[in-house]
Amino acid sequence: MVKFSENDLAKVQEIVAHYPDGKQKSALLPVLHLAQDTFGGWLSSETMDYVASLLQIEPIEVYEVATFYSMYHLKPVGKYVFEVCQTGPCMLRGCDDIIQYITQTLGIRAGETTADGLFTLKTVECLGACGYAPMMQLGKYYREHLTKEKVDAIIAECRKTAAELN
Amino acid sequence: MGMKLLLEKAHVEGIRHFEAYRREGGYRSVEKALKEMSPEAIVEEVKKSGLRGRGGAGFPAGMKWSFIAKPEGVPRHLVCNADESEPGTFKDRYLMEFLPHLLLEGLIVSSYALGSHATYIYIRGEYAWIATILETAIAEAKANGMLGNNILGSGFDCEIYVHRGAGAYICGEETALIESLEGKRGNPRIKPPFPAIQGVWMRPTVVNNVETLAAVVPIINMGGEEYAKIGVGKSTGTKLISACGNINKPGVYEIDMTISVEEFIYSDEYCGGIANGKRLKACIPGGSSVPILPANLLLKTAKGETRYMNYESLSDGGFASGSMMGSGGFIVLDEDQCIVKNTYTLARFYRHESCGQCSPCREGTGWMEKILWRLENGEGKETDIDLLWDIQRRIEGNTICPLGDAAAWPVAAAIRHFRDEFEWHVREPQEAKRRNYGLAHYADPIHVPVAG
Repeated sequence: MVKFSENDLAKVQEIVAHYPDGKQKSALLPVLHLAQDTFGGWLSSETMDYVASLLQIEPIEVYEVATFYSMYHLKPVGKYVFEVCQTGPCMLRGCDDIIQYITQTLGIRAGETTADGLFTLKTVECLGACGYAPMMQLGKYYREHLTKEKVDAIIAECRKTAAELN
Repeated sequence: MGMKLLLEKAHVEGIRHFEAYRREGGYRSVEKALKEMSPEAIVEEVKKSGLRGRGGAGFPAGMKWSFIAKPEGVPRHLVCNADESEPGTFKDRYLMEFLPHLLLEGLIVSSYALGSHATYIYIRGEYAWIATILETAIAEAKANGMLGNNILGSGFDCEIYVHRGAGAYICGEETALIESLEGKRGNPRIKPPFPAIQGVWMRPTVVNNVETLAAVVPIINMGGEEYAKIGVGKSTGTKLISACGNINKPGVYEIDMTISVEEFIYSDEYCGGIANGKRLKACIPGGSSVPILPANLLLKTAKGETRYMNYESLSDGGFASGSMMGSGGFIVLDEDQCIVKNTYTLARFYRHESCGQCSPCREGTGWMEKILWRLENGEGKETDIDLLWDIQRRIEGNTICPLGDAAAWPVAAAIRHFRDEFEWHVREPQEAKRRNYGLAHYADPIHVPVAG
């Protein structure tokens, strides 16, 4: 069942307190981030309904927001999501080669997840790292100045972390 | 070395934290403002400084502040726009990452000037680690009496909250940002009413860019008149430029707006020239939505005068032969780059980011992307070029917010200045596909045509 821990519920309360009384809907984006991080890296209908109940708003108000913003995943994703920027400035610095290399190395195309559930490849639009291109977002952080060697190292690092967690 | 008002201390060790920032003279403007100045006097200083909005539009900040309504008993809010998403732009990120307290200092002074007791930083969701840096800085400022109740004994109360977006370029548009802050889809509102009258939660609201609010600090410290002496004409103060693309030294640079474009690209102090010994072909000087210029029109205006890195000079010649300062996202293309492909990626970006409210933008951005894909991939027709031109004209000016214009301008400018490269893609599809770059002759020194 989808339910926040006491600790996370306290975080929700703290977020809601940032906004005026009765405007708890304003907390929706931050609470959805928290929910996605907590419940498996994506937002199921169950998760969205739960967030709606917490913020005392209608489920539709959550769905329409979750479907609008590109950071919310509405389908399960791999443990590590490679979000590679493909907009102009990154293109000028060779992001196409990086995307192709990841595709070859992991055997997945953009939008797909590896069979072992470890990696998802996504192509995304400008992440504001144009001077450090090509780049990708991995979890909370950016990986910049990508080369094929760096991609190899990142994949190895993810595999190692995953193995250690198991 | 150019004058630095914002980034001077960026490399001081520990400057990200309160102690080092304060030791280096930080928060002096808060002391000065809250102890010696009235809110009205601060607005007056900002007006005198000539500071223009650094997000892209360049609207005078002091004037924007003076529009805020002050109905009895209704709270007002300052919202900092940190939804930096315009391709080519990464300056606010740099400022927040390295000098979070500079932004907070500007926010406290500005909140006092506007009467905002709850101020929000709306930061793009992907900058997750920067949100944490800001939250740490806020806690430090609060622990040291710069935030909270009765700041420095002045009787002024203020809290600053960080609000993360979730991936939507459109939320950089101020009314979309306000909708998003209210927990809704980022659909821009029809203006009027302007945010200064009815903004977030229908309360009077001012939305300013990160760099704009940080610039309030030197303005208060040195006085508006002194600040206005830096720069040239209506381009006062310093501007952060984020330079990227095919240059030797991509990065964020603070410039006073008197240097030439040529110096900015070729001097070692800034971009350090074109990478790999290539030649300059074209440049988008102010973020992806402003018109792209071929090398000859970039370095000199159509009148043959030197072009400078400021609002007036970059827009000299209008859209026929000029561009815009925009957000300061400076994208350089070398001789190997294909204008059609570059334009295609930008069109794809705007299609992806259109909120879908207005038909010209929702449909038009998709059509432009498809046609550009066709041209880039050797399946274009001669008539496609005129069709693209026609579509962009029907988007521009026909939408609620400026995203429509932002999507139309890059396509228009690419066709205006590089039409033969589009035609070459139609005529020689296999060659265009194989070489994957366009005609390089734009990098040759060519005679500069006189407009008109």
